[in-house]
Amino acid sequence: MRPIQDHRHLLLRRRFLQLSGLASIGFLLDGCGSPLFEDLVYKASQPLNQSVEALLLNPQKLIPEFPASAIEPDALLINTFNFTPKIDHSTFRLSVNGAVNRPLSLSMADIQKSSLTSMTIRHVCVEGWAAIVQWGGVRLRDIIASAQPKANVRYVYFQSADGYYESWDIASALHPQTLLAYQKNGHPLSIDNGAPLRLASPIKLGYKQSKWITKITLVEHLLPAKTGYWEDQGYEWFAGL
Amino acid sequence: MDSSAARKSRSQPTQALPAKIFHWVNITSLLLMIGSGLQIYNANPVFGGRGGWHFPPFFLLGGWLAGGRHWHFAAMWFFALNLLWYGVYIFITRRWQRRFLGANDIKALQVSQNPKRRNYAWHRFVYTAIIPILLLAIFTGLGMYKPAQFHWIVDIFGSWQALRIVHFITVPTVIIFAVIHSLLSLKVGGSCLIESMFW
Repeated sequence: MRPIQDHRHLLLRRRFLQLSGLASIGFLLDGCGSPLFEDLVYKASQPLNQSVEALLLNPQKLIPEFPASAIEPDALLINTFNFTPKIDHSTFRLSVNGAVNRPLSLSMADIQKSSLTSMTIRHVCVEGWAAIVQWGGVRLRDIIASAQPKANVRYVYFQSADGYYESWDIASALHPQTLLAYQKNGHPLSIDNGAPLRLASPIKLGYKQSKWITKITLVEHLLPAKTGYWEDQGYEWFAGL
Repeated sequence: MDSSAARKSRSQPTQALPAKIFHWVNITSLLLMIGSGLQIYNANPVFGGRGGWHFPPFFLLGGWLAGGRHWHFAAMWFFALNLLWYGVYIFITRRWQRRFLGANDIKALQVSQNPKRRNYAWHRFVYTAIIPILLLAIFTGLGMYKPAQFHWIVDIFGSWQALRIVHFITVPTVIIFAVIHSLLSLKVGGSCLIESMFW
């Protein structure tokens, strides 16, 4: 009886060692900063994740705002993919075109004629940091409405002066807290933060909130390999919060 | 022959198949969550920001921030849904009452002089205590994933930084748990018990 018992224990020990080996192979695969099929993982999980994100987005629900005392003036880091364009505010025009009945070309004076909307929200960066910021500007939905979009519009493209480009789902673009901002923390927007005009919204990650916007194009379909500067490198497109 | 086989099977610890499946999926998805989570961490360390200490590449999964996020938000479904069905399973089968920490274990920890009984009570205490930690990881993660839609989760923790810290702390907690849990299993049931949970 005894030797059999010992033999069994030996076998168990061997399997335990095999198991540890398996676990460490798993860990090796896990490790080494390996991209390890990240593109496949994205392709497989993105449809589910995006439909859940779109479902979670309540297009009319206002995201609670913060009191002015909660503003974190130093927390908003500056991220730029290429360079900081210098734009002459006096000659600046924002064009709104695409699937609209009334294409627009607006000066800063035109834009600032509309009533100012102010909001103090949490700006969340994909990198993991966040900052409570006050943004002032005009509701994007008002600009889009005055261009009289066609019924088939489903997406919005944003072109920036530095070559950055982004695309949004129309529901997020029409959210009442999605602004074309020209004011930050009570002051005119600085050039580093996207002056004269940038996107600001509590419902999208920072990389969706283009700076130095010069052109807004309403479309029915997204261009396949051109959905946004970072998205085309592999970042998630919806990026809803 | 028959009786010896019966005796043998009685002396061998066995685990219910659903428990084994839960255990495997939990370990695998947690490894993926931790590797990809540390990859995301490195984009802007919770402690020290961009100038803070970064985890070495060996521990990372995804290759870069976007890849880490893809892995994290794919593995989260396996991790969370695995916990969900397991929760329903232990509730329906009442394993919750029989297989997890109970009043009898707490009593044993307080009064028992039997070291085996005490070890067993500790073992049950430790693997019961990790369940709320795993749920906390999901809860804080949901708050960071959708801070606008679930702004109340961020509010509960007071600030964004506090939420990030609590979410991150679940990682060392789980790792320390894994070590203690393995040692206690070994102490309570030897390698037979460990084997029984895997195969």
